[in-house]
Amino acid sequence: MSQEEPTLPDDEDDKRLMALVASGDDDALRLLVHRHHARLVGYLRGEVGSQATAEELAMEVFIRLHRAAGRWRPEAKLTTFLIHIAHNLVLNEWRRRGRKPTTALEFAAEPGDHSQQSARRVAELDEAFRRAVAQLPDEQRTAILLVVQQELPYEDIAVIMGAPVSSVKTWIHRARARLRELMKDFHPDA
Amino acid sequence: MNDPQRTPFDRELAETLARDRAVVVPGFAERVVSAVRADRRRRLVVRWSSAAAAAAACLVAALTLSAPSEETLNRQVWELVARDESAQIADLLGAADDLRLLSPVADQPGVVDVLAPAGS
Repeated sequence: MSQEEPTLPDDEDDKRLMALVASGDDDALRLLVHRHHARLVGYLRGEVGSQATAEELAMEVFIRLHRAAGRWRPEAKLTTFLIHIAHNLVLNEWRRRGRKPTTALEFAAEPGDHSQQSARRVAELDEAFRRAVAQLPDEQRTAILLVVQQELPYEDIAVIMGAPVSSVKTWIHRARARLRELMKDFHPDA
Repeated sequence: MNDPQRTPFDRELAETLARDRAVVVPGFAERVVSAVRADRRRRLVVRWSSAAAAAAACLVAALTLSAPSEETLNRQVWELVARDESAQIADLLGAADDLRLLSPVADQPGVVDVLAPAGS
């Protein structure tokens, strides 16, 4: 699995592509998926802890995006819209399972996953961080993934999570504190 | 994200999570397009099925509503009564009345009972 990130999406191009998708242009849809799927799958994998489930959910996100293409209004960035759909699907997935994943066992290193994974400490630290993130309460995990992993601004995260910015800041603060506590064996300074 | 005031812990967290920021899945766009096409076909079938069901419902409703009303039925009955065929039924009923005269009158009081003074 490649970790190469596609070029950053351009909002204007997204608007143009969405208009084409609404008119049934599959080539435009293909291009749109190519531009956005990597970050979407990355976010979903962080949420559900499984590559296969992340891909299934990402697929569903794009199917829903296609259905809604005719009604979509470019008031928010497409990235925000996609992650908003993805977040709702994650909530549904947890309800369906009856519980959320509490471990990140499926994050076990895949062959060739990281070029420098031979460094034992990096691998152990990665695994420890992922396990710690997986143990966070739902809102805290989503907020920390969106702000640290996806580098989204607080305002966008608030839209995605349907919560005030102040709540988002609180979740992130608590998530950091909880992660420091969980990682104190690895980070004495934490 | 390059805040110099961040602790080593914050930097480590950011670096670890950033490694999973983007996960490129080869052939994913093609899979999505196939899934979308299948979804489009399925929704088309559902839409036509709904239209067919609605048309069938309209047909049944039209047939039901075009059935004769109660008032029409009453009128048709009176018309039947006025016709000759219905008169035959009346004749049959009249014959039945005549036949009733021939039936024994068991409960009527006897002449002696009527004429005899009470208590004698």
